[in-house]
Amino acid sequence: MLWVDKYRPKTLDQAMVHQDIALNLKKLVAEQDCPHLLFYGPSGSGKKTLIMALLRQIFGPSAEKVKVENRNWKIDAGNRTIDLELTTLSSTNHVELSPSDVGFQDRYIVQEIIKEMAKNRPIDTKGKKGYKVLVLNEVDKLSREAQHSLRRTMEKYSASCRLILCCNSSSKVTEAIRSRCLNIRINAPSEEQIIKVLEFIGKKEGLQLPSGFAARIAEKSNRSLRRAILSFETCRVQQYPFTSKQAIPPMDWEEYISEIATDIMKEQSPKRLFQVRGKVYELLVNCIPPEIVLKRLLHELLKKLDAELKHEVCHWAAYYEHRMRLGQKAIFHIEAFVAKFMSIYKAFLIATFG
Amino acid sequence: MDIDMDMPLPEELELLEANSHFYEEPYLDSPPRDPCPPKSPPSENLEIEGPKRPRESVETEPSAEENKRTKTNEIEEEEEDWLPYSAPQETNVAAAVEKDEEVYLSRYASAIDGDFLPVTAPSGGERVYAKISRAQRDEGFKKLNLKERSNGLIFEPVNVLLQRVEQQAFAKALQASSEHLSDITLPDTPMVHEQLWVDKYAPSSFTELLSDEQTNREVLLWLKQWDSCVFGSEIRSTSDEVLSALRRHSTQHQKSFDSNFSRKSRGHRWSNGSYRPINNVGHGTNNLKGMQDLWNKKSRVTGPPEQKILLLCGPPGLGKTTLAHVAAQHCGYRVVEVNASDDRSSSTIEAKILDVVQMNSVMADARPKCLVIDEIDGALGDGKGAVEVILKMVSAEKKSDSGKENNANKKGRKITSLSRPVICICNDLYAPALRPLRQVAKVHIFVQPTVSRIVSRLKYICSKEGMKTSSIALTALAEFTECDIRSCLNTLQFLNKKKEALNVMEISSQVVGRKDISKSAFDIWKEIFQKRKMKQDRKSNSSSGSGYGEFDFLHSLISNRGDYDVILDGIHENLLQLQYHDPVMQKTVKCLNSLGISDLMQHYVIRTQQMPLQVYQPSVAITLHRIVAQVQKPTIEWPKSYQRYRTMLMEKADILRSWHQKIPPYISRHLSTKSCIEDLISPLLHILSPPNLRPVALHLLSETEKNSLAQLVNVMVSYSITYKNMKSDSLSSNLGHKEVLDASVLSFEPPIGEFISYKDYRSDHHVLALAMKQVLLHEVEKQKILQVSTGKSVHRSDKCSNGDQDFIGKEASGAKSAKMIGENAGAGTKNYENVKNISNTRQGNSSTSTISSSLVSSRSATAGAKQKSTADTRKPTSGFNFFERFRNPTSKGSQDSEIAAVKEVTLERDLRPVLYKFNEGFTNAVKRPVRMREFLL
Repeated sequence: MLWVDKYRPKTLDQAMVHQDIALNLKKLVAEQDCPHLLFYGPSGSGKKTLIMALLRQIFGPSAEKVKVENRNWKIDAGNRTIDLELTTLSSTNHVELSPSDVGFQDRYIVQEIIKEMAKNRPIDTKGKKGYKVLVLNEVDKLSREAQHSLRRTMEKYSASCRLILCCNSSSKVTEAIRSRCLNIRINAPSEEQIIKVLEFIGKKEGLQLPSGFAARIAEKSNRSLRRAILSFETCRVQQYPFTSKQAIPPMDWEEYISEIATDIMKEQSPKRLFQVRGKVYELLVNCIPPEIVLKRLLHELLKKLDAELKHEVCHWAAYYEHRMRLGQKAIFHIEAFVAKFMSIYKAFLIATFG
Repeated sequence: MDIDMDMPLPEELELLEANSHFYEEPYLDSPPRDPCPPKSPPSENLEIEGPKRPRESVETEPSAEENKRTKTNEIEEEEEDWLPYSAPQETNVAAAVEKDEEVYLSRYASAIDGDFLPVTAPSGGERVYAKISRAQRDEGFKKLNLKERSNGLIFEPVNVLLQRVEQQAFAKALQASSEHLSDITLPDTPMVHEQLWVDKYAPSSFTELLSDEQTNREVLLWLKQWDSCVFGSEIRSTSDEVLSALRRHSTQHQKSFDSNFSRKSRGHRWSNGSYRPINNVGHGTNNLKGMQDLWNKKSRVTGPPEQKILLLCGPPGLGKTTLAHVAAQHCGYRVVEVNASDDRSSSTIEAKILDVVQMNSVMADARPKCLVIDEIDGALGDGKGAVEVILKMVSAEKKSDSGKENNANKKGRKITSLSRPVICICNDLYAPALRPLRQVAKVHIFVQPTVSRIVSRLKYICSKEGMKTSSIALTALAEFTECDIRSCLNTLQFLNKKKEALNVMEISSQVVGRKDISKSAFDIWKEIFQKRKMKQDRKSNSSSGSGYGEFDFLHSLISNRGDYDVILDGIHENLLQLQYHDPVMQKTVKCLNSLGISDLMQHYVIRTQQMPLQVYQPSVAITLHRIVAQVQKPTIEWPKSYQRYRTMLMEKADILRSWHQKIPPYISRHLSTKSCIEDLISPLLHILSPPNLRPVALHLLSETEKNSLAQLVNVMVSYSITYKNMKSDSLSSNLGHKEVLDASVLSFEPPIGEFISYKDYRSDHHVLALAMKQVLLHEVEKQKILQVSTGKSVHRSDKCSNGDQDFIGKEASGAKSAKMIGENAGAGTKNYENVKNISNTRQGNSSTSTISSSLVSSRSATAGAKQKSTADTRKPTSGFNFFERFRNPTSKGSQDSEIAAVKEVTLERDLRPVLYKFNEGFTNAVKRPVRMREFLL
C-alpha cells in the first residue's frame, strides 16, 4: 500500500486535518440523525476520507466491507429502452456511485436507479439506523436535468435515505440541491497542516526528515494532501537519507505544460501556435482535463510574465475558460487563449522594445 | 433509289423503321469471328452478302452465285405477285423489302415511271402503286457482269472491291436515313409535342461529344481493349487510328450509326490483313472445337483490359452518360443501361448483370452488350447491390485466372467472370458505397469542357432552331451553369418557347434554374481560404454588391453542404497553416474567437435541440473568410487530428477506467480517475521503479532492501499492477529502455507508463533492469497468491464476521492472475507449491463466487474437487507435488481427488480437529468419515 492509503484516517477521531469539521460531523451523527450532506472542495483535500470516516461513525466497521458491483440497468424511457452500465460500491447500509459516469444519460440514473435505491428501506432496522446512505460522487458533473430530478428524490425519500453528495465545486450544483443539503466546505489543507501530516508519517515510518524538507514538499504540492504524501514517498524511494536540497520529482504533465509555456514565450506566431496545438492535444489525449491544462498553463505563463500584463492575461484566461465550459471542443478555446496571450505579449514586446 | 413513302401515320412509320432494323440486324451482327456463317441468308441480304463471301467460294462457284441471284429475283417477283392478295401484310413486306429490293411504292401512279401494280389496303381502302422494276433487273445484270469480269481477272484487289461495296452501302444507308429524318420531322412541325433539345441534339457520334477530348479517347481506348475478348479481333493499335477511322465517317449522319459502325469495324478487319481466313485454311476441318481452342489461346494472349470496370465521375450535366452510350455504340456494343430508377436490390441486379455480361441474345439485337450502370452512387442502400455483384465478378475472374488456364478459363467465363465491358457512372467519386469499386476500376474524372466548346455547340443548336443569340450571352450562360450543357439547353429551349431572347445582364435573374449542388468539403474549404479573383465587371457594378454577392455565394455553398462540424473542424485544422499577414496575431485571435463562437453555438444547439439556430453557422465561416482569405492557393488537409484525439482519449480513458476498477475498493474509492492522472501516476511510476534496488538474488539483499522490496511488491499488488511481456519496441524506446534482446520487454500491465509519454518529452523516470522486473513480477504473483490464502484463513478463522468483502474482491482478482501465471512462477519452495495448490482450488471457488461464512470451506472443497475431476491439464503436476508433500503411509487410501479439500486446512492444521463430511456435489470417490489428524500426522 502507498502511504496515502496506509495513513488515511479511518475514523473521525483520527482525522489530522479538518479536525473541526470532523468534530462537527461526529456531533451531528451522535444525535441519531443526519441531514443530506454536500461536501465540496478541491481534490486532495480529504472529502472522501471524511465521508468514509463518517460512514464508519454511523454504521460501525461494517461500512468498510464493501463489494464492487458492475450492474446493468434497462430503463424504459418512453418508446425505447436504454441500457446503462454503472459500477457501484455497496455495503449493507450504503451505496456509492458516480452517476456522471454514464454521460449524458445520467438523468435516467437519477430518475430510476437512485430513486429505486432510495425507496428501499433497509430491512434490518432493529438497533440500527433506520436509513441508508447514498453517496454520489462528482455531482458537479451531473447534467442540469439530472440535478433537477435529484432534488425531488431528496425530498420524497428523506425518511429512508440520506444522500451524501461530493463534488469539487459547489457552483455547478444547482441552488435547489444546495439548499436541501448541509453544505460542508472542505478546504485544501494549509501548508502547515500538510507539514504536520508529513512529519507524522515520517515519524511512523522512522525516517529522518531534514528541516525544511517537508515544507518544500508541501509548497510544491499545491496544497493537495494526496500529492504531498505521494511526492514524499517518491522522494523516499528515490533517495533515502534525505538531503534538504533533494530534488522533488515534478508531475510529468506539469513539466510538459511548462515546456509549452516556454515555447509560447519564445515565439509568437501562427506557426508556433500550431505546434502548441499539437502539444495540447498530447495532453488532452492523456486524459488530462482541459480546465486543468488551461489553469496550469496560465500558472506557468504568469510566472514568466511582466507584472503589468498579469491582470489582463488572467482576465482572458477566465474568459476562455468560461467559454470552454460552455462549449464542447476544448481545444478551440485553449488555443484561442494561447493566441490571445501571444497577441497581448507581442504587442507588449513591440511597445516596450520597439 | 428508295421509296418515297408517304404514309399518313407516324406510328406506322415507326413500325416500319423497327422492322427495317429487324431485317438489318442479322446481317449486321452475325458474329463476325464466325468463320463459316450458316449459309441460309435471307434474300434481301444477298446482294451485299455475296461479295463479302470468302473468295474461294466466289471463284469456284460463279454459276451457283448466278443461280442464286436469279432465284432471288424470282422470289421477289413472286412476292410482288403475291402482294395484292395478302394486303394486310402489305406494309410489312414493303418495309422488309424497302431498302435492298428495288421496289417502289407510291400513292400516285404518276410518281412512278414504268410499269406499276396497284395495291389496295382493305382497311382504309387506300391505294398504292408498286413499281415493277425493270431498272432493278438491269442493275442486277450489270452487277453480274461486273462480277464476271472480276472473276476472270482480278486486277482490282478484293479490298478495293469491298470498300467500294461498302461505300455504296453507306451511301444507301445515308440516303435512307436522311429520308427518314425528313419524314419524321415533317409531321412534327405543328409542335404537337416538342422534343427536348437535350434529347434532340444529344450527340450521337463520337466526334460530336462535347466532353474533354482526352477523356473521350481514353474511354474509347478502354472499350477497344475489349475487342479481342468480345469480338475476337486484335487491338488495333493506337487510338489515333481509331480516331482517323472516325473522321472518315464523321460526316455520316446520325441515324445510320449502327450500320456504320458495324460495317466499319468489319471493313477494318478485312483490310487489316485477313487474320482469320488464313487460320481457317490452316484448320481445314473448321470444326467447332478447333475454333474454340484457337479462341482460348488468343484470348489468353490479348485478354480484356486490366481494369474491367470503367468508372466515370463528375458533376451532373457534363455528358457522362452520353459519352458512355456513344462510345459503346461506336465500338459496336448494344448498350444496356441500369439506372437509379430500376430495381437495384442485390438479387435482381445480379441476375440482370449476369444476363448482360454472359449471354448474347439470339433474337433481336445480337450485338454484344455493354452494361452501363448509371448513378451508381445514387441509392446507397440498394446501389451497393450492384457494386457488390460487380466486385464479386471481378474477384472471381482474378481467381480463375490464377488457377488453371484453358478449362478454367472457359468455365470461369461461363460462371461468373466479366466478359463484357461495364461502365459505371457516378457523381460523387468518394461516396462510401464506391470505395471498394474505386480500387478495381479505371477511374475517369470528368472535367468541365471549355466554355468555347460549349458555346459553339449552343450556337449551332440555336441556329438550327432559329433562335437568335449572341455568343456573349451564351458564354455568360455557360459560365453561370458551370458548363452544364444540359441546363444550358433546357434554359435556351425554355426561353425560345417563351419567345424571349437571352439577356446577358439578367442571367441570374432570369429563369435559369440554379443547380443545388452540394460541393465537397474540400471545395468549401478552398472557397473559404482562397480569395476569388473577382470579375471586374461585377465589381464595377456596385462596390457593396461584390461583398454581398460573395457572402451570398459562400453562405449558400456552406449551407448546401451542411455538416458544419466537419467544415469548422477543417477550418480549425488548416487555419494556422495559411500564409496571412498578421504581425500581432490579431487576426488569429479573431479567427479562433469565431471558431469558439461556433463551438458554443453548436453545443447549445445540440443541448437544446434548437436546430433552426444552425443557420447562423455559415456566417462564422464567412467571417473567417473575410479575415484570412488569400489569393494564393491554400494547401488543405482533411481534419483528422480532432477525430484522432477523440478516439485516443476514449481508448486511454478506457484503460484508466478498467484499471480503476481493478484496484480494490478501499483504495479506488478515494481516487477519481481524474485525480489518478493528475496526482497519482507520476509519483507512482517513480515509486514503482526505485533506483536503488539491486537486481540480485533475493537472499543476497540486505534487510532494509528486503523491506523496501516487500513494500514495493505490496504497492504493486494493492494497485493491481504487474509486469507483462510486451513485443513492441516502440514502447521500450519511449521509456528510453535500451534492450538488447528486444523480443520481450516487460512493461506495466495496465500500461500506466503511456500516460506520461508525451511527444517530444523525456521524463526522467528511472527504469528498472529486466532482471529486476522479472524478480518483481515473480514476487508480485507470489504475494497475490499469499494474500489469497491469508484472506482465506482470516476469513475462516472469524466465522462470525460475515465475510470480508474487500478480501473477496481481492481474492477473485488474485485467483485469476494466479491462474494466469501459475506456471511461470518457478521458485520451488515447498511453501509456494502448497500455496499454488490452494490457489487452484480457489479458482473453482471464485467462479462460484458466493461465499457464505460457515459452509464455505466444505463447499469450496467440493467445488475444487469437482474441478479437479474434470479435465484440468495443469492438475496432474500440482496434484503430484501436493501428494509428495503428504507422503504419508497412513493416508494411502485417500490419495484420490478429494484430498484437495485438505489443502484448505493445511494452514491452520493445528488449530482444531475438523470433521469433513461430503454430502454435497458429485464425486465418485469412496465416502467415509476421516479424521483430520489422520492426514496430518
